[in-house]
Amino acid sequence: MVKYLLLNFFRSKVHPIGLALLLVSGLISLEIGSRFLERVDRVSEKTAIHQQESIARNVSYFNKEMGNLMYYLRFGLENETPRLAGLSIGQRDVYPSIQSLTVRNLEEQRYATDLVNPLFQLLGNMDFSFVLIYLFPLVIIAFGFNLISEEKEGGTWSLIRSQAHSPLLFLRLKLGIRLVSVLFVLLLLLITGKFYLAIPFDVPFLIFGSVSVLYVLFWFGLTWLVVSFQLSSSQNAQVLLSLWVVLNLLLPAGINMLQRWFFPVPEAMSTVIQNREGYHSQWDKPKEPTLQKFYARYPEYQSFLHPKEADFSWLWYFAMQQAGDDEAAVEVEALKNKLDSRVQLAKSLSWWIPSVHTQLSLNSLSLTDLGNYLHYLEALEEFHEKLKAYFFPRIFSNAPVLDEDWSKFTLEKFRDQPQVNWIQLMAPFGLSFLLIWVWAGYNFKKSGIQSIQKH
Amino acid sequence: MNKKGKIALLAGQVWNNTVSQSSAKMLILATNFLLIAFLLVGFFNQQKHQEQIHGFGKEVRDQWENSPDKHPHRMAHYGYLVFREKFPLSFFDYGMDSYLGNVIFLEAHKQNTVNFSEANLSNGLLRFGELSAGMILQVLIPLLIFFWGYDLISRDREQGTLKILFAQGVSGAQLLWGRILGLFYVSLSLIILPFLLAFGLLFLYQETDLLGQSMIHFLFLYLTYLVYFLVLCMVAVWISSRSQSSKSSLISLIGLWLSFTLIVPKIAQVIGQSVYPSLSKIEFDTAVEAELIRQGDSHNPNDPHYAALKDSLLKANGVDSTYKLPFNYSGYVMREGERLSTQTFLTHQKNLIDQFKNQQQILSLASWIDPFLAVKQLSMGFAGTDYEMYLSFQDQAEAYRYQLAQTMNELQIELISNKVKNSSDPAARLSSDYWEDFPDFHPSFLSEKEVFQNNLAGIAVLLLWLGLMGFVVSYSSLRIRVF
Repeated sequence: MVKYLLLNFFRSKVHPIGLALLLVSGLISLEIGSRFLERVDRVSEKTAIHQQESIARNVSYFNKEMGNLMYYLRFGLENETPRLAGLSIGQRDVYPSIQSLTVRNLEEQRYATDLVNPLFQLLGNMDFSFVLIYLFPLVIIAFGFNLISEEKEGGTWSLIRSQAHSPLLFLRLKLGIRLVSVLFVLLLLLITGKFYLAIPFDVPFLIFGSVSVLYVLFWFGLTWLVVSFQLSSSQNAQVLLSLWVVLNLLLPAGINMLQRWFFPVPEAMSTVIQNREGYHSQWDKPKEPTLQKFYARYPEYQSFLHPKEADFSWLWYFAMQQAGDDEAAVEVEALKNKLDSRVQLAKSLSWWIPSVHTQLSLNSLSLTDLGNYLHYLEALEEFHEKLKAYFFPRIFSNAPVLDEDWSKFTLEKFRDQPQVNWIQLMAPFGLSFLLIWVWAGYNFKKSGIQSIQKH
Repeated sequence: MNKKGKIALLAGQVWNNTVSQSSAKMLILATNFLLIAFLLVGFFNQQKHQEQIHGFGKEVRDQWENSPDKHPHRMAHYGYLVFREKFPLSFFDYGMDSYLGNVIFLEAHKQNTVNFSEANLSNGLLRFGELSAGMILQVLIPLLIFFWGYDLISRDREQGTLKILFAQGVSGAQLLWGRILGLFYVSLSLIILPFLLAFGLLFLYQETDLLGQSMIHFLFLYLTYLVYFLVLCMVAVWISSRSQSSKSSLISLIGLWLSFTLIVPKIAQVIGQSVYPSLSKIEFDTAVEAELIRQGDSHNPNDPHYAALKDSLLKANGVDSTYKLPFNYSGYVMREGERLSTQTFLTHQKNLIDQFKNQQQILSLASWIDPFLAVKQLSMGFAGTDYEMYLSFQDQAEAYRYQLAQTMNELQIELISNKVKNSSDPAARLSSDYWEDFPDFHPSFLSEKEVFQNNLAGIAVLLLWLGLMGFVVSYSSLRIRVF
C-alpha cells in the first residue's frame, strides 16, 4: 500500500510545487539571514575602527584636561548577535546592536535608534522563522485539506473502505508520507542553514530545530483534526485557511494590542523630560547641593573637592550629569518593569497559541527578543558605571591624558545567554497535541472509520 | 424584463443566498464588530497619545520659558523636546506609525534620532501585523469576498442551473455583472456601519482645524476601499466563471490572495533591499564626521578653515585680537560651524532618504501587479501614517532645531561681550525674556493637495485595475462555458 501511496504522492502536481516553494523561500530566507549577519559584523568592525580613530584624534586635540577630553570620548558596547539570529532576526532590526557611550549622563544616550527603512520594518523580514511560521502551514494545508474528501469526491473512498485493511491506517500513511516530505525539507533547510550561516551545533540550535519540528507537527495535527470532520474539500480549505488567519494574524496582533492596552508606557517620554531637566537645571542652582547629592551617590569621591568660588570644575560638571540620570531613575525603572510585564503577558498567553509560542521561543533562543534588549539595557548601565568608576578619579584629579594607554579601549561585547527551559518550550505543544489527538480520535470513531478495524 | 432588472434580480439572488447562510451571517456580524472595536480602540489610543504629548509639550514649553537668566549657548544645549503628533485619521490605518519614533531631542551641534517608536517597546509580536481597521479591510475582507464569490458561477455549472439561466434569456454579461454586483452588496454590508462610525469619530477630534482636511481624506479612503472591493468581486466572479470546478476556483483565488498579501510584497522587499542597500547608523555618522573634519574642525584650534576665518575677521575689523572684535567671536564661530555641519548632515540625510525611497519605489512598481500593495500605500497615505507624512515632521523638527541653535548664536554674537570668562560669568547671562520670544514648535501636516500628489500613482494603479477587470469581465462574458 505504501508503494501505491508514494506513487500517488509523486504523481500529483501540488506536492513537488509545494515542496519546491518551501525549499526556495527557505533558501532565500537563509540568504537574508546571512546578509543580516554580515551587516552586523560590518557594523561591529567599523565601530571598532572608528572608536580607535576617534579616541586618537580627540586625544591629539584635547590633551590638557582629562575632563574636557572625556566630554567627547565614546566607548562602544556591542550586544553580541549569535549566529542563530540569522534564522530569526526578530527585533534586532529595531534595536541597534551597538551603543557608544560617553561618561556623561546615560539616559540621553542609550535609546538612540538605528537607521532603517520603516516600510521594511512594517512588512517584516523574510527570515527563516517567517518561512516556518507562515509558509510551512500553508503548504501543509495544501497537502492535507483533501486527505479524505479527494477520495470521496473522486469516488475512490468506498473502494478504500471495502478493500483497505484499515481505512484509518490508510489515511495515517497518506498523511505520514506528506509529513515526512515536509519534515525532510525542514531538516534540509536547517542543516543548510547551520553550515551556510556557520551556526554552532549547540543546545540553542538543537532546541531551535526541535521547536521548528514541533510546529510543523502541530499544523499536520490541526489538518488531521479538520479532515476528521469529513467535510467537503472546499469547506476544509476554508476552515483551515481561516484557522491560519486566526492563529497567524488575528491572535498575535490581538495579544500585541492587549499589551499596549494594559501596559501603556508614557514613561518612555517622561524619562526624557525628567532627565533633561534633572541635568540642565543644575547649571542655575547653587553648586553645593548638587555636589552633596553626588557624594551621597558615590562616597568614594568625597576626597575630591570643588575649588571654592570657582565658576566651573569638572567634578561639578559630572555631578550635574549624574543628577540627570538620578532624576529619571524612578521612571526608567517603571519603564523597564512595564516592558517586562509586556514580555510576561505575551509569554503566558502564548501557551495557547502555538504560532505565537513558536515565534517568541525562536526569538528568545536567538537572543533577538525584547527580553534580550532589556538585558542589554542593563548591561549598558553596568558598562557605564564601569567607565565612570575608571575615569572619574582620573578626571577629578586631572590625571595626565598622555600617560593613559588609550589603545586598550577597544569595542567591548555583551554576551547574553538564552534561557533554556525545556518544559516551557515543549509543554504548549504537548497541550495542543493532546487536544487534537483526543478530538480527532473521537471524530473518526463517531464516523465509524475506526470500527471497521475490528472486523 | 429589461436588462437592468435582470442584473438586479441576479444580484439580489446572491445577496439572499449569502445572508441566508448562518455562517455568513456570523461572519458579517463578526467583521462589523471587529472593525468597530478596532476603530474605537485606535481612536482612544490616538486620543490618549495626543493628550499625552500635548501635556508633555506644554511642560517642555513652560520649562523653556521659565528658564532663568543664562548664557544663550546654555539654552542651545538645553535644547527642546518635540513630540510627533498623529494625524486625525491615523486611528483608521496605523500604517508605519508604530515603527516611527515619537520624541526627538533638539540641541545645538547635533542631530539626534527620533526615538521611542511603538516597535521599540514591543516584543516580536508586532511583526505578525497590527489589528487596525486597515488590516481588516486590506487582508481579511478580500479573503471573505473570495470565500463568498468562488462558486458564484461554477456552482451553477456543476448543478446544471447555468443551462437553465441561459435558456431563460439571461445573457453572459448580465449573469457576470449581476453576480459581481450581488457580491459587492455583500461586501458593503461589512463596511457601511463601521465607515459611518469612523466618519462620526472625526467630529470628536479635539483640534477642529483639521476637520475639513480629514473629511476629504476620509472620502478618498472610502472610495479607495470601494474600488478595491469591486475589483476583488470582479476577480472572484471572473475566476469562478473560468474554472473547471468550484474547488479549483477556490484554490486559484486562495493562491491569488496569498500572492497579493504575502508573496509579492515579500519578493519586492527582498529585491528592494538587495538592489538598494542602505547605510547603518555608524556608517552614516562616520561619513558625516569624515566630511566635517575635511571641511574644518571648529574644535581644533589649529584648523586651517577656522584660522582663515579668524584672520579675515581681524583684518576686516582692523583689530589684532579676537577680544577686540565688536561682536562675540566664539558665537560667530559656532554659527559658522552650525551652518556647515547642518548643511553636511542634510546632504547625507537626503542621500539616505533617497535610498529609502528607491527601496520603496520597488514596492510601488510591484503594486501595478498587486492591487493590495497599491491600497496599502493609499490607505496609509490618506490616514496620514505613511513615510511622506513622517518626513515632513522630521524636516520641520530639524528646521526648528537649526533655528533654535542659530537664534541662540545670534544672541551671543550681538549681546555677549568677548571679555567674559565663561558661561557662568554673571556678565554672560541674558534675560529670560529672550527665551519667551523664541516661538514654540508648531508642526503642520502635509496639505490634502500634497497628500493627493504623493498618492497619484496608487490611484492610477487602482483605476487601471478597475478598467482592466471591467474589460476582462465584459470580454469573457461572451464565452462562458455551460458544462
